[in-house]
Amino acid sequence: MSTATSAGRSSATRRRSTIRRRELFWAAIFLLPALTSLVVLRIVPTIGAVVDSLYKAFPGGIIPATFAGLHNYRSLFDDPNFVDTIARTLIFNLIINPLQICLALLVAVLFVQRIPLVGIWRTMLFIPVTIPIVGSCIAWGAALDPQGPVNALITALGGEPQPFFTSPNQALACIIVLASWIGIGYWMLFLIAGLQSIPGELYDAAKVDQAGPVRTFFSVTLPLLRRPLLFVLVADTVANFVLFVPVQLLTQGGPQGSTTLLMFEAWRTTYGYGSRNLGAAQVVILTAIMLVFVLLQFRLLREDKDNR
Amino acid sequence: MLTTIAIVLGVAFVLPAVWILLGSFRPNLEILTTMSPLSWHTIIPSELTLENYRRLLVDSGFTRALFNSFFVCLVSVVMGLLMSSLAAYAVAVFTFPARNVVFAVIVISFMIPFEAIAIPLAQQFTDWGLGNTYVGLILPGIGNGLAIFNLRQHFLSIPASYREAAMLDGASEPRILFSLYLRLSGPALTNSALLIFLGQWTAYLWPLLIVSDNDLQLAPVALAGTFGEHAADYGQNFAGAVVLSLVPAFSVFVLQRFFGRLSIGSGEK
Amino acid sequence: MTSSNPFTRRQLLGGLAALSAAGLLGAAGCSSSDSGGTPSAGSTAWSLPSTDPTATIKVLSILDLKTANMQPVIDAFHKAHPTITVDYQSVPFDSLNSTLDARIANKGGDPDIYWADQPRISALAARGEAEDLTAVFSDTKDKFDPTAYDAGVYQDKLWALPIANSTQLLYYNKTLLKKAGIDLPSPSPDQRMTWEQLTTDAKKAKDAGAKYGFLFGQFDRYYQLEPLPVQLGGSVGASGDGNLTPDFTSDAWVKAFTWYRSLFEDGVAPRGVKSEQTDPAFLAGQAGYMVEGPWLLPQLQASKVDWGVAAQPVFDGGKPATPTGSWSLAMNPFSKQKDAAAVFLNWMSVVDGGGYIKYRSDPELAASLEGKKIYFQKDVFSSAEGKNAADIINYETSKTAVNRVSTIGYIEFETIMNQAFADIRNGADPKTTLDKASSDLTTAWQKYK
Repeated sequence: MSTATSAGRSSATRRRSTIRRRELFWAAIFLLPALTSLVVLRIVPTIGAVVDSLYKAFPGGIIPATFAGLHNYRSLFDDPNFVDTIARTLIFNLIINPLQICLALLVAVLFVQRIPLVGIWRTMLFIPVTIPIVGSCIAWGAALDPQGPVNALITALGGEPQPFFTSPNQALACIIVLASWIGIGYWMLFLIAGLQSIPGELYDAAKVDQAGPVRTFFSVTLPLLRRPLLFVLVADTVANFVLFVPVQLLTQGGPQGSTTLLMFEAWRTTYGYGSRNLGAAQVVILTAIMLVFVLLQFRLLREDKDNR
Repeated sequence: MLTTIAIVLGVAFVLPAVWILLGSFRPNLEILTTMSPLSWHTIIPSELTLENYRRLLVDSGFTRALFNSFFVCLVSVVMGLLMSSLAAYAVAVFTFPARNVVFAVIVISFMIPFEAIAIPLAQQFTDWGLGNTYVGLILPGIGNGLAIFNLRQHFLSIPASYREAAMLDGASEPRILFSLYLRLSGPALTNSALLIFLGQWTAYLWPLLIVSDNDLQLAPVALAGTFGEHAADYGQNFAGAVVLSLVPAFSVFVLQRFFGRLSIGSGEK
Repeated sequence: MTSSNPFTRRQLLGGLAALSAAGLLGAAGCSSSDSGGTPSAGSTAWSLPSTDPTATIKVLSILDLKTANMQPVIDAFHKAHPTITVDYQSVPFDSLNSTLDARIANKGGDPDIYWADQPRISALAARGEAEDLTAVFSDTKDKFDPTAYDAGVYQDKLWALPIANSTQLLYYNKTLLKKAGIDLPSPSPDQRMTWEQLTTDAKKAKDAGAKYGFLFGQFDRYYQLEPLPVQLGGSVGASGDGNLTPDFTSDAWVKAFTWYRSLFEDGVAPRGVKSEQTDPAFLAGQAGYMVEGPWLLPQLQASKVDWGVAAQPVFDGGKPATPTGSWSLAMNPFSKQKDAAAVFLNWMSVVDGGGYIKYRSDPELAASLEGKKIYFQKDVFSSAEGKNAADIINYETSKTAVNRVSTIGYIEFETIMNQAFADIRNGADPKTTLDKASSDLTTAWQKYK
């Protein structure tokens, strides 16, 4: 009997290892395109940027570069303008992301209530998402022109016309408004789906306990919404950290440098001034900061999926 | 009361979009003169015309840019879905050491926002001769982390018994993937296709960096190019924005049910 | 079913490291920044050939073939030189720099000839993006207006040939001025107004009903505003070795830009109106005065405005100075068809006053003396006011034109200056703005030292 078992076991083992080898073979083939694009589209440019950032070159790219170690990084951090840009980008994100998500949450809560024609109102909030960002920038640029309709509205209501994009104090705020007009509708959808997955019994239980709407919100809704909320917050941060189009189209980083965000700065250094190596250093710094947020985003994404 | 708030919000958000839509049908001069001071005419047009669309589609090179965008988007979707399905299948169905590591690495890398590496990638592509080519425009759009993630989650939910049965019938892995799994993955595929398509349709930074040839340029960059070139031609700009919005609007409205499922914690099966 | 095989951080890093190694090999293999030593640009000796070679050359421009009426020019070249084919392409002005950087760095020889913005020629030469033309073309010096030729010179070598020039005139709307009871300015360059007088008069015109008192053709641009401090004795913006020391914080500069800011504070000129909107505004009869280039003349002729011209004003007690400069053509040092390219360059810029001037339907002020004669014969100069304009243009280009600063750091310079001007226009204090711009520029220029 033992011979039969051991014979059976070894043939089963052999079969298993054949299966495993076969799976490994196919896995390698199937993964090849993805891994190749990963290397080509993400790894190679990142390494390229890191390597480039360690060189110094005359702008333009024809005269060969010379190795300079961390010179570019030192000169960037010695430059008060660059340090300002990093600070400005971080502060911008500290303001805009919680703001957008809070507003998206409020709106999402509103639109899961029983309101007549709620689908229509919800869709109206989503329409800005369908307009390409170039179009939105052009429209808002026209609307917030000092001689444009928004100021016309303000003066009609008795206020003073505002400088908007021409003022260093208001330009960044205008960009926040523009980005939020698009962002709130987008993230609202994610949060609505999150809200709708909260089991109705919990709300019934809260009603039995005679909890009011605010109390229900904080003790029932929020805790169960924690993961989707965090995910949306981080995803929004990832998107806003590399915000580029409104700055390039509308303000070019001004007035007085008040809208110079990191992504725009890297673009201007590389393509405006032709300083490929310095621009590469800026990109490396940007990507390093991004990586932190992306890792966080992935963590939250996985945890949530696993806890079904 | 809540209804009032909902209505006010809806109108407030949609108002600028309505202004763009109506403005695309108005003569440019009229848009400029009615911007200020405030009147009914700021929104309500007094004259309607198709001139903006005509000039946009017939005179300028915008139609060419639209064609480029469609072409790039469609090819990206086909190749992107292919790549994502293959990769998702591999990490969902096969068992091999470090499978989860591979999955994590792939998704994380593609979740790094494209803008972060766009500039160095553009330099590399130009060095490799891919500047001003369709290949150069299409390639970066193929890798989409969320698409792979989505498909993998969906594949995980397909019972393993289906595959075992197919294997007993002698089907090869590719056959199982294409004839079995993909057939069961309609919504997930649609989701992922939508992600890839919209990503390429709205791409601005990448075409800006990689293409300087007007004949190859994509629609969003072509639209931005007309902005500020001549005396504020808002009529034509708005027409361009409307045309560009049609595609995402259409796909979103038709597939609205599926779109919401993209989110996490939605309790999808 | 949950797939909860937790992976350790070490495994994750291990996976990333493996792929990084693959990537490193890939990146190293295709490393871009140092392939093959110094650009051996001068390896092919070339000249202006006596018989045309058979070749196709690529030309990169900022003027669209159809909408900017370049087709007749290219056709005329093909007729004169049938064995040389021109493959013509244009990009928007804003992308020209980056396109040139990328294409020339490829060392593939595309384009062979390209449009070069005159103040950027030193920068182009220093970067190795222009071919040295001295040996073949320096004998053409006397054929051009001195400032136009000098714009192509850097470190005593010639790098580009001018195809056009520019200047600025003071246009005024007779109807609006008469309405405000203002005396019409004299067209003689010796009797030009002062900016101070202009400010007062423009204010009167605005008060009498004009939408705008005064417009600059290009607000906030260094091209337009550069002569203002020069008139007061200030520098063109940089000085020192290689013009790499910022020099725009002197009293002359502060005074000039205090005046500039006052135009907007007092409502004489509008904030927010972009440079692309100024021409249409004047042509629609909305402005009393405008300082703009000669390209406005054909449009003025076609408009309903009753217009007149005078010379650009000068500050009280200052010396007249006017903006100048336009486009030149340069050759790619890696071009594989330098002889054919030289033929094109010569035909466009030198022969018969320049093919570009002769065959382009939009009248373009020539940089060459012979081209100017052709230019002044265009019918836009046949009216009485047109003749005044011709005299002023001739005078200014010969006597009061001041080139923009010639520095290899021009791109950083112009970007920072234009931003500073825009800030001053929006109300920032001129002295602090100029001081900050100066320190920003010093930082940006460190890489050249």
